[in-house]
Amino acid sequence: MDDQTTMTTQQSDCGNYKGALPQCAPLAVSYVPMQGSNPPAYQSGEALTRGTLFPGLDLPFMNTVNTSNPYAGTPLGELMALQFIVKELQLYLDTHSGDADAFKALQSTLRLCEEGRKKYVQLYGPVTMSDLTACQSYTWISDPWPWDYAERTGKS
Amino acid sequence: MDLRPVAVGLRRKDREELMFTYTKTLQYPVKIANPNPALAKFIITQYGGPDGELGASLRYLSQRFAMPYPELKGLLTDIGTEELGHLEMVGAVVHQLTRSMSIEDIKKAGYDAYFVDHTAGVFPASASGTPWSASGLGVKGDVITDLTEDMAAEQKARTTYDNILRLSDDPDVTNVIRFLREREVVHFQRFGEALHAALDKLDQKNVYAMNPAFDAAAK
Repeated sequence: MDDQTTMTTQQSDCGNYKGALPQCAPLAVSYVPMQGSNPPAYQSGEALTRGTLFPGLDLPFMNTVNTSNPYAGTPLGELMALQFIVKELQLYLDTHSGDADAFKALQSTLRLCEEGRKKYVQLYGPVTMSDLTACQSYTWISDPWPWDYAERTGKS
Repeated sequence: MDLRPVAVGLRRKDREELMFTYTKTLQYPVKIANPNPALAKFIITQYGGPDGELGASLRYLSQRFAMPYPELKGLLTDIGTEELGHLEMVGAVVHQLTRSMSIEDIKKAGYDAYFVDHTAGVFPASASGTPWSASGLGVKGDVITDLTEDMAAEQKARTTYDNILRLSDDPDVTNVIRFLREREVVHFQRFGEALHAALDKLDQKNVYAMNPAFDAAAK
């Protein structure tokens, strides 16, 4: 989306739970309201637990939400939370590429993610192949794998 | 071993971005304390059913090749990749629900029909046992058609997760399902915004005058 498109559809003040629609639009097609620029966001751990970074898009079934996740507060849980923010900001920026604040937030989260991953790898082993540059031996294949019941949470 | 670098000129930082790579974490934790094959019987549908994560990932990752606009190539790649992560999560749920089952557990849960064909393996099939089929996804090669399909697909997946939440009585399972369901809502929003952006580029008096995924190239 070019910046002009973003400007024409996002300047109205609809609040966090509503988005902007064009005043006039072609007939016979679907229109979803555009989420406004610089929307409010959850903290990283809460975002992962609730499944979205954005309170405005948090629309739970029967209004029942997760209050925690099994790795909350563990090194792995913190790494997952940062990876999740990166994914959410990526999808948001794909359709809001002109939002400079969101881009800055993506850059700072990517930096935190990189630092967090390095610390995690020192404690529990590689997450990506390139992490092996910091490992003593070929620990890529070491258990547990992510689908195993016992994960590398740091809780043992 | 003496291996010379093949890709001369590639800096260290570039290596991770060369192709699809595996990250050895799930997107969201799956930690199910109590095996329960009765739940696995219907949750398998989000692994290999008509509105499941395998179909979702292939729908988006296949549609992107014909897309003419950069934001559509990006969004379909990024959501398609996330869906592969969801496929892994649903596989993990089924695996953990069916670990260390006894023959008695299998019979009691009615898991015997699945068990006789796949033991405790994770096989892409629907809740009714039909193996995964590409007929559950659409790749029409038309910008408006494919994005409209994607919006409907996200709604179908959301409804399936709603129904799983109605049936599941295990908090360890519902915790994961609530996360996956919310992702469908976010993806619906992004596909809608992407369609919006695509429509802005078309003839405002007749958005159906041509298909920009085919006709623009022929000009």
